Amino acid sequence: MLEQYQMSSHFLQQVNPTMKLVSMLLIIFYMITVFDPYTPLILLVLTVCVIRLFGGVPLKFLLLILLPFSLFSISFIWINVVFPDTRGTTILFSIGSMPVALENVLIGVSLGLRSLVFASWSLLFVLTTDPTRFMLSLIQHCKLPPRFGYGMMAAYRFIPLFKQELNQVRAAHKIRGLGEPRGIKERFIEIKRYSIPLLASAIRKAERVAIAMESKGFDGNRNRTYYHVIHWSKADLTFGMGILFVFASLYLIRVNFSL
Amino acid sequence: MKNKKALNLREIVVMASISVVFGVLYLLWIFFGQFIQGILGPVGWGLLTGFWIMAPILCAYIIQKPGVALTAELIAAGTEILVGSVNAGVVLILGFTQGLGAEIAFALFFYRSYRLPVLMLAGMLGTFASFLTTYFLYGYSQYSPLITGLMLGTMLISGALLAGWGSKNIADALTKTGVLDNFALGKIRRTQRMKKDAISEHG
Repeated sequence: MLEQYQMSSHFLQQVNPTMKLVSMLLIIFYMITVFDPYTPLILLVLTVCVIRLFGGVPLKFLLLILLPFSLFSISFIWINVVFPDTRGTTILFSIGSMPVALENVLIGVSLGLRSLVFASWSLLFVLTTDPTRFMLSLIQHCKLPPRFGYGMMAAYRFIPLFKQELNQVRAAHKIRGLGEPRGIKERFIEIKRYSIPLLASAIRKAERVAIAMESKGFDGNRNRTYYHVIHWSKADLTFGMGILFVFASLYLIRVNFSL
Repeated sequence: MKNKKALNLREIVVMASISVVFGVLYLLWIFFGQFIQGILGPVGWGLLTGFWIMAPILCAYIIQKPGVALTAELIAAGTEILVGSVNAGVVLILGFTQGLGAEIAFALFFYRSYRLPVLMLAGMLGTFASFLTTYFLYGYSQYSPLITGLMLGTMLISGALLAGWGSKNIADALTKTGVLDNFALGKIRRTQRMKKDAISEHG
């Protein structure tokens, strides 16, 4: 489902995965210091536009993913109104005997929007990065030991097999008459009934793959050659400048409007 | 013989595949968790957090070597990102701090003891690290101390029960199937079984 976006040849897809990862972490750490609602709102709108324009992801698809996430962000508003650290002085209205202060609502909105900024940046990364390129970039640029990188890629390839296996286990249990669970207790037992065989077969498969890798001469050595070499390109420079520009303009806006 | 404490490829791939399974489960758990948090708020969320510390404890308990807990949690977080987490950045930071929390518990016992209390401590340190991280990331300093205290309490309980006790249960059930015979936990169980058999033969 995500592959059609990850594999397309828009601008964001050409940026080095390490570059995107670092910028995402920078944005997150920057947001921690922000408690006004306007900065996250600007960033959120900007990020969604960037993903649409430079990543080629349809707006409808983006909003469809962000919508369930906004339920989570709304919870920040009511928690801040009901359980604030310090209650604000500008009372808007009262629910029962509880006053609702403007300051607390604004902070709640800010925290809610902050979580949406995190989500939108994660989408920017996830929707425009091919998993294999990401792992290769980690090995080639971030000094991740190949042993871990390739081991993880091998395990990642198991995911579709796990799905198949779950169906098999389910069918096998049904044929032996274990039936559908009734009530919470039976459902709990059912989870255990599925998870043990699934994990056991995952471990068996992993052992076999590891032996196969070693017998083909994989020794986890750093001095190896790569079929796919991930390069640094002009796109990375442009992307880096863009991030700098965003930070600079956010700084100016915040100073001028004293947010 | 190379360094005995270093991980070999077999252990890495097995650890990765367990963590990948949990990475997918973590992702499903987030949807469930966000639904709960939307209704019950951060306290309800607290009760669920222990689940996210299961991969490091399970792997550390099975392989019993330094660094396993941290690496397992990072792989699980990485899987969430590869599969397509809506919250990739936060997940990565959380994966690091949670794994580190669990790792500290095992390091405190010099990677020698993997009994239930140690596993529970690892779970609690893991959820504690997770609490600290979300505290800063999502600005919990703006909430009243009452609610953050309640949250921390439920998270610690969840870490001990879900992560510590739950992981031990799963690992012990897995040992019975025999797939872990080549790993530290399987070897320990096998020698225990052989000793018991020897006693019953002679007795």
